[in-house]
Amino acid sequence: MVTNIRKSPGTMPKWALAYFGLTLVVLAYGFYAAMVAPKEATMGNLYRVFFYHLPHTILSFVFPYLNCGASFLYLFWRNRNVERAAAADAFALASAEITVLYSSIGLATGMLWGRAAWGIWWAWDARMTTYLLLWLLYVSYLLVRRFSATGQTAVISAVLAIFAAIDVPICFMSIRWWRTQHPSAVFGGGDNSGIDPSMVPAVLWNMLAWAMWGAFLVGMRYAIERRRQRQSNAHALGFLGDETPQGFQEAR
Amino acid sequence: MIPFHTLSERHLVYAYIVVWLFQFGYIAWLVAQWRASREPKSRG
Repeated sequence: MVTNIRKSPGTMPKWALAYFGLTLVVLAYGFYAAMVAPKEATMGNLYRVFFYHLPHTILSFVFPYLNCGASFLYLFWRNRNVERAAAADAFALASAEITVLYSSIGLATGMLWGRAAWGIWWAWDARMTTYLLLWLLYVSYLLVRRFSATGQTAVISAVLAIFAAIDVPICFMSIRWWRTQHPSAVFGGGDNSGIDPSMVPAVLWNMLAWAMWGAFLVGMRYAIERRRQRQSNAHALGFLGDETPQGFQEAR
Repeated sequence: MIPFHTLSERHLVYAYIVVWLFQFGYIAWLVAQWRASREPKSRG
């Protein structure tokens, strides 16, 4: 039986450290590529915000699907396989947290660009409003997980995650469905979309770099949450086992 | 390399550095969580 707890930070696997090192190299190269990419014809250097705004925004549309998938798996397994359900729940929490991180940066860098390009920080157009909604949904998800005391937190948050994911395709398609203040889609936005081929490598390097970074963060957050779950289980088993308080022993 | 000192929108480069700081701040918090957490040990 798992009964006692030892304080042990543990070590990260070597492959994870190697992956992290490689991610740092790709990030540094992405930064370099963003700086040496040619100047844009109409926006000048202002367009360089695109190299970090776009990856964060696109990836903040990917992590919610991981959160949604894990939430579905949690609901499927919660009465069938407790261990798998706990793992799915931990993964859902990890991906939601990274969604908030990436969408916060996406919002902030978008506003920064908007102020420089349009002279305004914000416009209530379809893209920005649905993106703000996405951010609020995942912040509320984390708040539910942090402060709910019902004993059904995982179920409530899994259902919330599934509803929250509905906003993602609406937000993604908003610049295709409606005319917005936000620029139209750069990739896959029709005949006039796309960027100069000389700028594509910088976009791809930064996409790859921030995707690798995000994957590492999800993995690390997941590992921490799984450790917290095991710790919580050990406490519960200790309470019911040979560490039963005096009052309970007398009552038997 | 771009002429940084005469760059008209160089605050966007600073913004990229701030993005890095945010991200490294988050991972520093994760490392602190990892180090502060405890791994249960089976006693048989």
